[in-house]
Amino acid sequence: MLRVRGLTVAFGGPPVLENIDLDVKAGQFTTLIGPSGSGKTSILRAVTALLSPQSGTVALDVPANDVGFLFQDDALLPWRTVRQNVALGLRIRGIAAGPATEKADRWLSLLGLEGFGDRYPRQLSGGQRKRVAIAQVLVLEPRLLLMDEPFASLDAIVRMRITEELLGWVEREHLTVLLVTHDLEEAISSSDVVYVLSQGPSATIRARHEIGIPRPRHVLETRRDPLFAPLVELLWKELS
Amino acid sequence: MKTFLIAARRIVALILLVAFWESASRLGWLDPFYMPAPSTVARVMMQLFAGGEFWTHLQATFIAAFAGLAAGLVLGVGLGFAAALFPMLAELLEPVMVLLNAIPRVILAPLFVIWLGIGLASKVALALVLVSVLMFFAVYNGIREVDRRLVERIRTLGGGRRFLVREVYVPSVTAWVMGNLKVAVGFAFTGAVVGEFVASSRGLGYLLQFAQSTYNAGLTIALIVVIMAFVLLLFALSERLERRLLRWR
Repeated sequence: MLRVRGLTVAFGGPPVLENIDLDVKAGQFTTLIGPSGSGKTSILRAVTALLSPQSGTVALDVPANDVGFLFQDDALLPWRTVRQNVALGLRIRGIAAGPATEKADRWLSLLGLEGFGDRYPRQLSGGQRKRVAIAQVLVLEPRLLLMDEPFASLDAIVRMRITEELLGWVEREHLTVLLVTHDLEEAISSSDVVYVLSQGPSATIRARHEIGIPRPRHVLETRRDPLFAPLVELLWKELS
Repeated sequence: MKTFLIAARRIVALILLVAFWESASRLGWLDPFYMPAPSTVARVMMQLFAGGEFWTHLQATFIAAFAGLAAGLVLGVGLGFAAALFPMLAELLEPVMVLLNAIPRVILAPLFVIWLGIGLASKVALALVLVSVLMFFAVYNGIREVDRRLVERIRTLGGGRRFLVREVYVPSVTAWVMGNLKVAVGFAFTGAVVGEFVASSRGLGYLLQFAQSTYNAGLTIALIVVIMAFVLLLFALSERLERRLLRWR
């Protein structure tokens, strides 16, 4: 679904990323793991054309409109209600206010935010805002979902709950996912394929692992899988 | 409860101050020529409001201030938007605005009188210049410092320039304009009153000038209190508008 070849990204100095090759196959959950500051985010930004790489290509099998991007911070419009925020993408795609609102409300209740539609983002907790951000992306029914450390800002309990939920959505909607994270256990517990990025500058792909733990995954059960602990150790060594 | 207590304490302090002033006048500690008693000022004020002529002066100042405020908002916001969207225009406008911002803009008053006469137009022009420079910087800087994450959010959702302007720029600019509205109201009145003070045949500034030239301290203080009262009233109104428009905060 997504092929990245020879991607090099530089911001006027030595390259941040050098010669990145990466494949995301349809239906797979792929994770890119790397130390902080290794330029992980830049890969996602190059995929969504938010930055233009120095060299290399990004090939998508789906139209840009079928790509959803879940940001690290929720980036909701503070002056729009929760409902308007969720409906925003639909409105941009030219869907009339009525049906867009209806659909937004449906997704809000699917994510456990029924009755919160008229609130402003400021009035929500961090976890609730994250759910709104998820609804904002899922309402567009993307086929490829890009996530940039989406849950980094949440506390451990909320984080585990939302991760579990999101894995459910990935399963149900047959989503293809590219996740970027620095969290080893998160990477292994949710992915089919893990790419390891080396420390920058000039970060590059160091290894690729297939994670054989069967799907559907559950955050807690996955950690008890006999494959889990050795993988954590292996990836830990590659990262350090 | 706490804000109520603060307000109560302030009112008590004000009453005490006025009472002290009044008794100091009655005891002969203050020369009424320079510092008339509050009761005298109050009497002057009542005479002002009772006489029909005062209302035409009040009206003249209000019209000048509001016309200058409205025109200054439109011009300042418009130029700020244009400069932020077209860098070429910003290159030309920025130095002019920086200069206008650096000088005390009321020094332009005599020039406006020469150009536009002693009528309404010169007062509106002064208020307009005061307000529009303020608004220009509020909008221009505001747009340049707009939250990049929100811009990227709109872009990754597939939105183009139209949605960026409608969903990000206009609401952000509204916030900055509203945040500066109170200052702008104050500036508009400054422009109107100073303009009248320099040369006119009507308005509160004209009355102030008259009071000063006849060494009438009572009338001067009464006019100052009236102007303060009206500006405070307008502050309260703009605060309500601000709360309404920025209820998401």
